[in-house]
Amino acid sequence: MSMSYKEKSLIASLGATLLVFGWYFYQVFSNQMFNIGHEFTFNDIFRPIILIVVLEIIIQSFLAGKDKNKEDERDALIELTSYRNGYWVLSIGVWFLLIQLLYVGSGGWYDILENSSPAFISHLLLLFFVLAEVTNFITQLYHYRKGI
Amino acid sequence: MSQQTLADKVGVTRQTIFAIEKDKYSPSLEVAFKISNVFKTSLEDVFTYE
Repeated sequence: MSMSYKEKSLIASLGATLLVFGWYFYQVFSNQMFNIGHEFTFNDIFRPIILIVVLEIIIQSFLAGKDKNKEDERDALIELTSYRNGYWVLSIGVWFLLIQLLYVGSGGWYDILENSSPAFISHLLLLFFVLAEVTNFITQLYHYRKGI
Repeated sequence: MSQQTLADKVGVTRQTIFAIEKDKYSPSLEVAFKISNVFKTSLEDVFTYE
């Protein structure tokens, strides 16, 4: 079976997200661990977000021009299930960060964010948003291929 | 009848008709009734519950 417009669109979005944010978070975390390069600030968050928005506009306009089908109840059900999975990933990430923030400065072994700047914590939050989005894309692709 | 023709008459995508045929998707009652209406037969003749 050939790939539908939705599948092509999902693969392109997944690829763009992994490429842009993979490269970005590699830089952020290697900087945090080895303290090399420039210090990432909160404003740096907007660079990959703007880049992914521009890439998405280009990808979607390119795909839509060739083969765009209407959506039906199956698409809606797959989307709903996938957003639920993404929601769980995001919830786990946000709760993890909230609990960690309670222990910042306590000095215990559980104080993972010790010496972390607010900008780095913002980047962690963005990471969980991206992981939730990737989960959403992968779940959708899985259901389009394996059924729901 | 082609998958695309049936899909157009029912108001879903061709991929959904393909998924129903391959037992990868259980349609809503509305779509199931529309499919049986297209073939001018009863629901039980088109779908079975296992």
